[in-house]
Amino acid sequence: MKTRDNPLGSLEHVVLLAVMRLGSDAYGMTVRREIESATGREISIGAVYATLVRLESKGLVKSYTGEPTAERGGRAKRHFSLTADGKGALRTTHEVLRKMSAGLKGLQPT
Amino acid sequence: MTRHRALSVATWILSRLAPKNERDPLVGDLIEEYALRSNAASSSAALRWYMKQVVTSAPLLLRVRLARAAWISTIGAALLAYIAVAVAELSVDWAISNWTAVGTFAYKPLGLIMLFPMVILIGYVAGRFRRRAPIVLGVMMLLVVTTMMLSTTESVPPWYGVAYFVVGPAAAFIGAALHSLRPARW
Repeated sequence: MKTRDNPLGSLEHVVLLAVMRLGSDAYGMTVRREIESATGREISIGAVYATLVRLESKGLVKSYTGEPTAERGGRAKRHFSLTADGKGALRTTHEVLRKMSAGLKGLQPT
Repeated sequence: MTRHRALSVATWILSRLAPKNERDPLVGDLIEEYALRSNAASSSAALRWYMKQVVTSAPLLLRVRLARAAWISTIGAALLAYIAVAVAELSVDWAISNWTAVGTFAYKPLGLIMLFPMVILIGYVAGRFRRRAPIVLGVMMLLVVTTMMLSTTESVPPWYGVAYFVVGPAAAFIGAALHSLRPARW
């Protein structure tokens, strides 16, 4: 079974969605902020990076290093973007969730 | 400790724990957010946030770093599995010598028969932690058994020598094969 055919873990799922939402502005801290603002849950930058590293090793995201900037103490950003397999994994996970929740009452937003 | 000193120490600790490739972007992200929070709220609140990020991130980054040094954790899992095999072998010897009222373990096939599934199970469990650990375990057992056979001064029955040479490593390799056959996890 290919990685993209495996449903994602919950944090992997959320991080991939955040990367997709942010587009070209997806780097560690923006991903963290996006998750906090969307879910209302605090998440550490370490958890975000650990998940992004795992997703990259699975081939679901790719990254490149930007230019160092003064406001970051001369350190560069590492930008992330979804790969085709990453989009496939998101589709698979959403399909599984849709099938599992189909017909269940009490899941509609209140 | 001054605020600047506390920040420097926390950043140094985090950068030592973070994997090399993630070190600079991660620290840069924290510095950027710290500056934003210092301007938006108070410096002490920003420092508290920074320290909390360092404390909660450190174990996760250390785990990533250890996972990347895959051979270390594979050898570690194989060593733990080897200790488990030694404990199982001692338990089997003890049980046989008690049940059969024989003072010492006298090259009984029963011991090997009992040990075989135990080593398969240990190999399987080791494979859950590190995929190659049961293979390393099998190789370690082959080396140890070979050394023991070459160095022993006791007269060991040939059938027992062959069986002892085959059973342990074979069981470890079967454990590895069983682990690789299990269905994919989510």
